[in-house]
Amino acid sequence: MNFGFTLEEEKLRQEVHDFLRKEVAPELIAEVVEYSGGAGPVHGRRIIQKMGARGWLCPTWPKEYGGINSSEMVGFIIRDEMTYAGAPVSLVGATMAGPTILRLGSDELKKEYLPRIARGEIEMALGYTEPQAGSDLAALELRAEDMTEAQATDKGEVEAEDKGDYFLLNGQKMFNTHAHFADYHWLGARTDPTTPKRHRGISLMIVDLKSRGITIRNMTTIAGWKTNEVFYDNVKVPKRNLVGEKNKGFYYIMTALDFERMFPVGSFRRIFDELIEYTKETKRDGKLLSQDLVIRQKLAEMAIELELSSLLYYQLAYILDKGEVPNYQSSMQKMFATETAHRLADIATQIIGPLGQLQSGSRWAPLHGEAELHYRWGFIETVYAGTSEIMRNIIALRGLGLPLPLG
Amino acid sequence: MNFGLSEQQEMLKKMARDFLATECPKSLVKQMVSNERGYPLELWDKMADLGWIGLAFPEKYGGTGGSFLDLAVLLEEMGRACLPGPFFCTVVLSGMTIIEMGSENQKQELLPKIAQGKLIVTLALTEPGGSYNIDKVTVKAVADGNDYIISGTKLFVPYAHVADYIICAAKTTNGVTLFLVDTKNPGIRYTLLKTIDGDKQFDVVFNKVKVSKKNILGKEGQGNIQLREVLRKAAVAKCIEMVGGAQPVLEMTVDYVKDRKQFGVPVGSFQAIQHHCANMLTDIDTSRFISYKAAWKISEKLPYATEAAMAKAWVSDAYKRVTKLGHQSIGGVSLMEDHDMPLYSKRAKAAELMLGDADFHREILAQELRL
Repeated sequence: MNFGFTLEEEKLRQEVHDFLRKEVAPELIAEVVEYSGGAGPVHGRRIIQKMGARGWLCPTWPKEYGGINSSEMVGFIIRDEMTYAGAPVSLVGATMAGPTILRLGSDELKKEYLPRIARGEIEMALGYTEPQAGSDLAALELRAEDMTEAQATDKGEVEAEDKGDYFLLNGQKMFNTHAHFADYHWLGARTDPTTPKRHRGISLMIVDLKSRGITIRNMTTIAGWKTNEVFYDNVKVPKRNLVGEKNKGFYYIMTALDFERMFPVGSFRRIFDELIEYTKETKRDGKLLSQDLVIRQKLAEMAIELELSSLLYYQLAYILDKGEVPNYQSSMQKMFATETAHRLADIATQIIGPLGQLQSGSRWAPLHGEAELHYRWGFIETVYAGTSEIMRNIIALRGLGLPLPLG
Repeated sequence: MNFGLSEQQEMLKKMARDFLATECPKSLVKQMVSNERGYPLELWDKMADLGWIGLAFPEKYGGTGGSFLDLAVLLEEMGRACLPGPFFCTVVLSGMTIIEMGSENQKQELLPKIAQGKLIVTLALTEPGGSYNIDKVTVKAVADGNDYIISGTKLFVPYAHVADYIICAAKTTNGVTLFLVDTKNPGIRYTLLKTIDGDKQFDVVFNKVKVSKKNILGKEGQGNIQLREVLRKAAVAKCIEMVGGAQPVLEMTVDYVKDRKQFGVPVGSFQAIQHHCANMLTDIDTSRFISYKAAWKISEKLPYATEAAMAKAWVSDAYKRVTKLGHQSIGGVSLMEDHDMPLYSKRAKAAELMLGDADFHREILAQELRL
């Protein structure tokens, strides 16, 4: 056993830490918040490109695709530091779509997308959820019809340059975060509506979000940032944009979640550090908050849960570096860390007291209003990418082998 | 990072599990509650022969020179087996105190005999005040020529009835001091305490017990500072044992709910039960990681006060939660004394209260956080 980092890992962590300390300005943090933790159009893109140039955006990838061939541990360390600094870390291309392209994509797809993702030039939006397909992703209906050249010509809709085979897409996506500022849609679509096993009729494909027929409509979340409904109306997608094999998309998505479902708690370690300082310099009724026995208990509790979230987080890197795929562990980490984060924000607002409801921008708001913001954000984090309830189902079914519920 | 055990540790773990499954079945554990000694002598001798008692003692004192992490592997299996007997008090509470604080003579005299299983030692710390704050010891030791006269009452002294020596924390004019007291001393009276776990913890009364100055462990008046370190390690050791106990609770629960049918289906197919089980696994994994991280830091001689406090604070509550959810999931049958579940749920409570509970360790952690 070894719960420490190697010297090289420590050195790299420090390097990333120092870099981010210099680069992350308040405008960037504000933009990250506005763009749901992603790389917004101005400051976000700039910083991820700088990181990309160092190979830090997709460090585990081979050099030819813009990585530095690092261990997963290094990747986890970098992301941990990025969240600590308030840099964008919800990067679909770099951490979700990209790794799947690397595993399953054709050479053509790899060459086309991976280097640009690793350089921070393009961003993607997840296109899984639909109005009737949330936790039950296999219920997705957005239809992708196979159009051969002949059929396309028959339809008379195809423009001259559109000679190749393509999919014709119709339907609606929902809660597709990043879609309004991403370049591509990482889309799950139904390619076989006839199969009785609905998991087997879904394919994964990359769609240019500028394609004709796509309409994006914003929805505002409880945390203030926007997510989207995305409507597909006869959108044509070239078949070479298919990722992996047709009709296997559901399994790809599920496997990808095992690899990628993780929640670094760096930003919460930072809020916690700031909260500790706040309690040491703030008096209530003549007494420092840090001397209040109840507050001391609560802070100690949070220190423990943050440490545990972190251990669960780095355990995932350890599993991946062994060449194994995390089984229930990624679900456990996501559940535990997001619940810890929400509780921390909750406790922070309580410790701050009535001022805990003040939003960022108010002159009276302690901790720049972060406690209040993350309290709202916590509702989302414990739901998106799999609710805590679904995480517990996965732990029980896959981690413990309990029988599937009937019905 | 490496979350796995070494090959040797895996072997030790497997050997310990197999040995304890054969030599310490649950029927024996239950039988031992009403047995006066509380453990079979043959089992103690066999463990000595296997080199378990001296596993983490330095080689020059008759030990194997194993690390704290090696000891942790054993302790986890002992927690799983609900091993009765004076291993924890002899090896962890006393052995570590002697290693840390004993003079060269004391170490040479005591440790090899302990390792051979020939000497049982225990620690008398807690008092009727119920505090784990070592500074608040009230038992007095009054100087009398080359001796000290110890008077007062200690509670929760494990296996005092079979111990050859009791390490007693008492206050001299210079502060808290540890005395190695021979239990043959006529001034010692002990009474078995009736505890939730039915383990052998005693009320020990020291009535003008005469102890030679030579039998002071460590520095006079510094016992509280020196012992704090030992108790911190002991708390980590206890956490590892607790993790060992929590694991089979989950295994029993999962096996049962997969099999038990109600409403025509296995109860394990109900999401309410599944979520109980998922919460149990989460408590166990997190408990294991924080406890082993602390144990690893001890092995590596790194500062570990923060992790030790985190571990005992977290595991004290987590182990209890696991047993409660286990009972909820299994239901009625798990409430019967002949089931194995009550062994664990009672031990979880006893272990929580030993060496400081969650509140106690969260306050220590708050101090570590410089609050």
